[in-house]
Amino acid sequence: MSKNQVLIVDDEETVRYVVKRILEEAGFVVSVAANGPECLEILRKGFKGLILMDIIMPGMDGWDTIQAMVDEGLCEGNIVCMLTGKPVPDVKMDHLKEYVLDYIRKPFDSDKLVQIVSEYLGYLDMPQ
Amino acid sequence: MPEWNIPKRTIVVIGASAGGPRVLKTIFSGMPKLNASIVVVQHMPKFLNEPLRESLASLTSMRVQLAEDAHFLKPGHVYIAPSERHLALLGNRKLHLYDGEKVNYVCPSVDVTMASLTLEPGYLFIGVVLTGMGRDGADGIVHIKKELNGLTIAQDEKTSSIFGMPKEAIATGCVDYVLPPETIREQLIQWAGVLH
Repeated sequence: MSKNQVLIVDDEETVRYVVKRILEEAGFVVSVAANGPECLEILRKGFKGLILMDIIMPGMDGWDTIQAMVDEGLCEGNIVCMLTGKPVPDVKMDHLKEYVLDYIRKPFDSDKLVQIVSEYLGYLDMPQ
Repeated sequence: MPEWNIPKRTIVVIGASAGGPRVLKTIFSGMPKLNASIVVVQHMPKFLNEPLRESLASLTSMRVQLAEDAHFLKPGHVYIAPSERHLALLGNRKLHLYDGEKVNYVCPSVDVTMASLTLEPGYLFIGVVLTGMGRDGADGIVHIKKELNGLTIAQDEKTSSIFGMPKEAIATGCVDYVLPPETIREQLIQWAGVLH
């Protein structure tokens, strides 16, 4: 059931905890990854749903992680939204535009976050 | 037919990237059947083409479809550019989908669609650039303003998930209005009129 599944990828434990709690209280099934490699591992096991991706992470950043998803064919059926502070222009983002459906700015309003997550997961419940 | 009796044809090209699906929903929410053909170029993965179409179709009286090669534009219709092919408008009338190199790192590119429009009496051209990364759409807006004497809109910063594409379009000096999504809808209704 991809329509309920959310994967949070963020190196900050507090962010993972807070976002997970907000989304679980709203009825979503939430997985967490502390970095890019953990995210890829979850995707390789068949995760399908909405991915909330931090950009700045040590080692493999959000853009590197999306690039690895593209290279491994793990994008199909997954919607990626960046969950980030002020977006910083990065040459790596140019090639990955079509894989990122939205940006959600930190700090975020929890009702707004739930609304956005619901809206995008709704797409995965439609005929493709 | 004398030229003054030829009905005005309006073509709107809307370009969007990250954050676009939510803004498009706001723009098309309650949108009546406009006397215009609207082409939407949204950067997105291919598997979201049909869900986006269905989502927008549920919000407006306009007929929303995925653009198909060699189909003719009709007023009251919205055409969504499918992923992975560029969309050009031949003679301002016919949809042309084709494989090509990425432009501005994307395919389809907003600039490609906007630049395919050509000056023609009786036509009103409108270009709209919404939220997104990069500068796709900026050259297209210049084309619509300078070559076609059309009307141009960019989404405002406050409502943009990421103020890249609208900012670049505004920087060209060729944007007439900087507006939030609800006002973009009202402006399009005012310019194009409603089909009865």
